Amino acid sequence: MKKILSGYIPAAAGCLVLLATASMPAGAVPVFARKYGFSCTMCHSNYPRLNDFGTRYRRNGYRLPGRENDEKTILQSPPPVALRTSAGYNYYRAVNSAAPAVRQFQLNGLDLLSAGRISPDAGYMFVYTPVLTASRGVAAQDGVLEMASVVFNDLGSSWFNVRAGRFEPAYAALSPKRQLAVSPYEIYDFTFPGGLALSQTQSGVEVTGYGRNGTSYAAGWVNGSDTGNASQAAADVYARVEKVFGEGEGQTAGQRIGLMGYSGSAVPDVTLPAAASKTFRRAGIDASLNYRHLNLAMQYISGTDNKALWGKSSDVNFSGGLAEVSYLPATGLVCFARYDVVDTPRSVNMDISKWTLGGRYYPADNIALHPEYSYKKQKSSAGDITENFFTARLDYAF
Amino acid sequence: MKKILFSLLASAGLLLLITRGGWLLAGEGFLFNGSLPAVTVPVDNLQTDAKIKLGRQLYFDKRLSADNTVSCATCHVPETGWANHAATDTGIKGQVGGRNSGSIINAAYMKVQFWDGRAATLEEQAVGPIQNPIEMGETLENVVKKLNAIPGYKAQFQQIFGTDATADAIGKAIAAFERTVVSGPSAYDRYRQGDPEAMTPAAVRGMDIFNGKGHCTPCHSGPAFSDGGYHNLGVGFEKGKYKDEGRYAVTKSRKDMGAFKTPGLRNTAQTYPYLHDGSEKTLEAVIELYNRGGVPNPHLDPLMLPLNLTKTEKTDLVAFLNSLNGPVPEIKEPELPN
Repeated sequence: MKKILSGYIPAAAGCLVLLATASMPAGAVPVFARKYGFSCTMCHSNYPRLNDFGTRYRRNGYRLPGRENDEKTILQSPPPVALRTSAGYNYYRAVNSAAPAVRQFQLNGLDLLSAGRISPDAGYMFVYTPVLTASRGVAAQDGVLEMASVVFNDLGSSWFNVRAGRFEPAYAALSPKRQLAVSPYEIYDFTFPGGLALSQTQSGVEVTGYGRNGTSYAAGWVNGSDTGNASQAAADVYARVEKVFGEGEGQTAGQRIGLMGYSGSAVPDVTLPAAASKTFRRAGIDASLNYRHLNLAMQYISGTDNKALWGKSSDVNFSGGLAEVSYLPATGLVCFARYDVVDTPRSVNMDISKWTLGGRYYPADNIALHPEYSYKKQKSSAGDITENFFTARLDYAF
Repeated sequence: MKKILFSLLASAGLLLLITRGGWLLAGEGFLFNGSLPAVTVPVDNLQTDAKIKLGRQLYFDKRLSADNTVSCATCHVPETGWANHAATDTGIKGQVGGRNSGSIINAAYMKVQFWDGRAATLEEQAVGPIQNPIEMGETLENVVKKLNAIPGYKAQFQQIFGTDATADAIGKAIAAFERTVVSGPSAYDRYRQGDPEAMTPAAVRGMDIFNGKGHCTPCHSGPAFSDGGYHNLGVGFEKGKYKDEGRYAVTKSRKDMGAFKTPGLRNTAQTYPYLHDGSEKTLEAVIELYNRGGVPNPHLDPLMLPLNLTKTEKTDLVAFLNSLNGPVPEIKEPELPN
């Protein structure tokens, strides 16, 4: 029975998606767009990256800014479910690494989403990634409840909004969940063994506030690193402030700068008691600058980790960042180039440098043809690790 | 067993598609534009041919103004899209008003009337300009007297309303006439109904921009392309001051400062110039204003953001707006009662 279910349920689901796709006009789009009858480009400059409008919509708790009283709840809207997936040809080859080479067509992942307004006062976002077992044609994916959060807005004023549950924290100025490239932001993933990756979603609570003069803040209290044992108390806190100069939110218009700080603790080994926790800190500065159809996004982060977290004899200080240029030469087309760098002390010896080049072409709002190449070099005591990654894939949201 | 299970799943899937298939189609959301429905008529002012005929006469009759020089049709001219190509209008004694005359076309679909929404109904709106000292400069009391002194009008009011002319009946008759000034199917409507040739490729691209990158639909939503709401674009804001307070003058609420009602967009290509003060002469100029994100001011609508539209996208957007032109009734000035 289990075998039958595992075979036929995906088949039936696939049939449904195909049938649905066949009946869709080119502008057909997921959850929020379906609710309003919008195109993806209402909120995304280049799906999945948000534009200024989408940024305001998200921070407004999935309500159209200025039209809050007209909003409809999920019970008054089309079923609030959506699907994201990506498939295409992947090439990966690493030197001095145990990572297996890849040269094949693969399904690269699958996200199931639900989002909307639960009530006039609260919105929610739910993202689940089901388990995908690695096989020929399928890249492995962990089954993770990536997001499950509720957001309450304008609690007295726009300066007090609360998001609770599992969510994408505000400290990552350049959203790892909505980046143009597949290749990850290295500085967000760099951490002590088993430690906090800034690219991951967090469980906790976040308070945010927004002013009309382009100033905003966010502060959160979250579980933090997964290295802690299950009974370890949530102890990580963070804060971020940003200012946008000019009209816009800094995504596609306006010039945005931001500062963030993160203070956390983790046990060096999950078998140790919570009392053995050691601290780590992150501080960062970021900017997103726009000129016509050109965007330059930058992030710099400095980290200080207690020596025990690395098993070293002295505290580890590292720093790094990224600079990404994206350019929209024509409707439905974006090109991007990025440089990532991480600088580590000699005791760690894990310096990273990476180049990423790519583009996305949108034959329809919710479909992107996405070629990308990245070359990464990372120092290692066993010899430098080099990675070549190329993909030509189709990203799809329905 | 396998076949049964597959059949069940497939059937369930098909059932879902058939019963809830609508949500799979983009453009069916609650802000979807779509085609115009039938005009809603208030139960206390049902449409009759006689009432519409009377309303048409009143609409064109300059005797409703203080010096017999201005009628509704003076500013809302049928030949110019039921609007006026002047930035702002000239009323009695050469007085110039501060706002552009909005088109009468599809006014029947507006939730509220006037740029600041001070009239809740067409009936209320119809008698507003008569009493405006700059526009028609007359009192309703005088107008009633004048009309009752004209046998041709008096008889019609008696026949239709069972009374002599009253302010209420004047408003109802003009409103009944205005409810006939609606636009017919446009190229956009024909396209939505399945004619792929109805719109040019540029207009189709423009429709996607309208509904996406152009951020037009959140305000220009619904079949008449208006949300009936009020939005501050910053137009008229100079040196820290608003030339026209807009909706604020009605509500005295700070959030309404400088905000004006969203106009409908059907037949908008014919109703230039644009905006509440007629300050933009062309659709291209209006799009440029939006592309800049409006005029910065303390109460700028949060939906206003720079758009970064390319030259082609702007052209496509204009093509789409032109595809919203539909036929409107050709109405000439009637013979007026003496």
